[in-house]
Amino acid sequence: MLVASGLNKRFGPTIASSNISITLRAGTVHAIVGENGAGKSTLLRMLGGAFRPDSGKMTLDDAAYAPQSTFDATHKGVALVHQEITINRSLSVAENIFIGDLRRYAGSFGVMKRKQMAKEAQESLDRIGVKISVKANIDRLNLGELKCIEIARAISSNPTTILLDESTAYLDHREVDAVLRVMQELKSKGITIGFVSHHLSEVLAVADDLTILKDGQFVGSYLAAGIEANEIHRLMVGRDVKQGIYPPHALLPASAAAPALRVTKAAVGRELNDISLQVGHGEILGIAGLKGAGAEALFSGIVGDEPLRDGDLQLDGKDYHPTNPRAAWQNGIAHLPGDRGNEGLIVSFSVLDNLVMARPPAVGPFFSMSRARAISKDLIKLIGIRTSSPDSPCQSLSGGNMQKVVLGKCLAVGPGLLLLNNPTRGVDVGAREEIYRIMRQKTSEGLAILLSSEDMPELIGMADRLVVLRRGEIAHEFASLENVEEHSIVQYMI
Amino acid sequence: MKTPSSGVKAPVQPVRDSALRDRQIAMLRRSFPAIFLVILVVVFTSMSQRFLSLDNLSTVLEQGTVLLVASLGASFIIMAGSIDISVGSIVAVSALTAALTADTLGAFAIVPAVLIGALCGCLNGLLVAVGKVPSFVATLGTQVVFRGLVLYFTKGAPVEISNDSFLNAYSSISFGIPHTVMIGLALAVVAWSIFKFTVFGREVLAIGGGERVSILTGIAVTRVKIKMFVLLGALCGMAGLLQGARTMAATSQLGIGLELDVIASVVVGGTPLTGGLGSITNTCLGVLIVTLLSNGMNMAGVDPYLQNIIKGVVLITAVYINIDRKKIGVIK
Repeated sequence: MLVASGLNKRFGPTIASSNISITLRAGTVHAIVGENGAGKSTLLRMLGGAFRPDSGKMTLDDAAYAPQSTFDATHKGVALVHQEITINRSLSVAENIFIGDLRRYAGSFGVMKRKQMAKEAQESLDRIGVKISVKANIDRLNLGELKCIEIARAISSNPTTILLDESTAYLDHREVDAVLRVMQELKSKGITIGFVSHHLSEVLAVADDLTILKDGQFVGSYLAAGIEANEIHRLMVGRDVKQGIYPPHALLPASAAAPALRVTKAAVGRELNDISLQVGHGEILGIAGLKGAGAEALFSGIVGDEPLRDGDLQLDGKDYHPTNPRAAWQNGIAHLPGDRGNEGLIVSFSVLDNLVMARPPAVGPFFSMSRARAISKDLIKLIGIRTSSPDSPCQSLSGGNMQKVVLGKCLAVGPGLLLLNNPTRGVDVGAREEIYRIMRQKTSEGLAILLSSEDMPELIGMADRLVVLRRGEIAHEFASLENVEEHSIVQYMI
Repeated sequence: MKTPSSGVKAPVQPVRDSALRDRQIAMLRRSFPAIFLVILVVVFTSMSQRFLSLDNLSTVLEQGTVLLVASLGASFIIMAGSIDISVGSIVAVSALTAALTADTLGAFAIVPAVLIGALCGCLNGLLVAVGKVPSFVATLGTQVVFRGLVLYFTKGAPVEISNDSFLNAYSSISFGIPHTVMIGLALAVVAWSIFKFTVFGREVLAIGGGERVSILTGIAVTRVKIKMFVLLGALCGMAGLLQGARTMAATSQLGIGLELDVIASVVVGGTPLTGGLGSITNTCLGVLIVTLLSNGMNMAGVDPYLQNIIKGVVLITAVYINIDRKKIGVIK
């Protein structure tokens, strides 16, 4: 049993954790939920030894517990799995599992005892019940499998408690299911689990207990069986979200919308084979599919990041040949990529710098700072970006607000077509609502949106029509999403 | 990060204190090159009376001009996260061009010198931006090629410059200020304006901050990269011309090792090699530091065999204190 009480932690002026207490009962699964910036990861990292609390007390099985580092915590039986995938692709599966303790397998003259290591690595994998071979080529494994390898790494130290930080954030449905199964497997072996998640459905599926945080404060701990999703939402956000987070929209007949983009028999890379679809002005076309089913490739093809192998594109009725992303932006196509940190924005740059990056206001060759200020002021207000100043670096913002900056960058060019790749991944409920509101507002002004998402409720809530991709082809098309259930979409994906 | 007294004091106070301290440290870091410069001046003044004389100041500026002009161009390259180590060779090619054309063109030898420099830069730019050869390797290759061109055409012999109109324009003194210094300072203002006020300057910085983001955001990364290499080439052309005018000859040894001083100047000014940060004013300070260091040691009579050792140690120390390693994360 891991008990913490009165934990405080601050980073500069930000108070990340204020007097937080939590009890992880032995052998149970305990979820920590809250909006972005609520202090979930901070709490988990304090428990796992990555951060030292400024004040507060922790006990592990009634003994005082004050880990000096993650290494020390592991030694005491508490293993932390970080949110980011930390697999090193130049190493083998087994080496990745024992990365923290490779010396253990050093034989004479420092030669690695590979066989023994492979055997013990396989045991770790088997113990968490995943079917991954240590001989597998690491480049062929999906993110969910890599996450499982990280859990196997954590388990190889024989911990009594394992802490998982947003382990499912970047995974698709199948991968999430695999990780959740591993969690149940660990629980059945008597291991205590603490985990952070944005997805309430996951929380309710596996958690015994849950603790809600808001703005670095402790809201309460509950038995998962005794609380409903709506109630959790309300406590997380601090207000009622019963009416749903998706803004209502008038049903528009697909025929009424003037076509913005028409894709005819497009093929891109290895993923996308033969796709024809069309999206109209004022319409949100949802795209569902597992990772690798073709949505990313389709976007790459439309913005010219990858060449079309075959097929034609028409933009507002005119032939359009994307040669590079620059041409796409100039043709009024804005693109919000799936990887916010590496593709969406430059985090060390200011909010203003990022907002006007796609089309810097200029007089001749000269950048107009006064116009840039006006533009970013408007965007910050329109989208509700919470930042102390337009000159603050984006890295000082929460994930949700960073995503709003990327959205703002897209809207700054006044696009006719907007491609959104998982716009709310790792984004808290409050920011989600604002992003959805803007999407609706802009479509009512004539914007066409292609929305690719792994979040089924989001697709059902936001899309006017939906295509389901499977292995680079369209498996099914929903002309309307009235009364469509999640499982009826998923069945076409697999 | 322990604050032992935090339990006793009011809880709000230490938060403010630490925020203030963070801001102060950041400010100190930003102004570090300037502080370092002041320290250097104080130390050398105490070691040699002549150091702070107007005469010596003029010498320092004259000595530093070639380095300054080349470093101005290199700042753009480094802020975009690339590197150019062919700088010294481009300077040599341009100096040779100036020397060969000075007799017929006089002061107008500036045109071919700068054009040839820009052409060399363009080749670098094409290799890097279009050919996708990493800038270190591409310019390592062209460094040898450009130097080889100079050797081939001169056969190792110096080419003298004796044209009066050329020398009058680029190496005489008006109003007590050497023309080279005037030209160098004017170019610094131009480079500063380009960096600070143009879209191109912002795009350079954006490429350094995140090249993939820049590509996907529709910045013409290829074009910007070629432009910045051409800009550096042209400035190296100017540097070569000024160097030729100063020494009244173009030699095959001219500008050897200049690229190292250039990189040192930019980095000592506080611009990390990873790009995405920096400014032209930083580079100017860096150039002053590097130049003053050599000049000051000479004035103070430091053993010439010891000077390189001191120079290296001082540069590393400066960068060590100067750069906020937390912000950069991975150091390669």
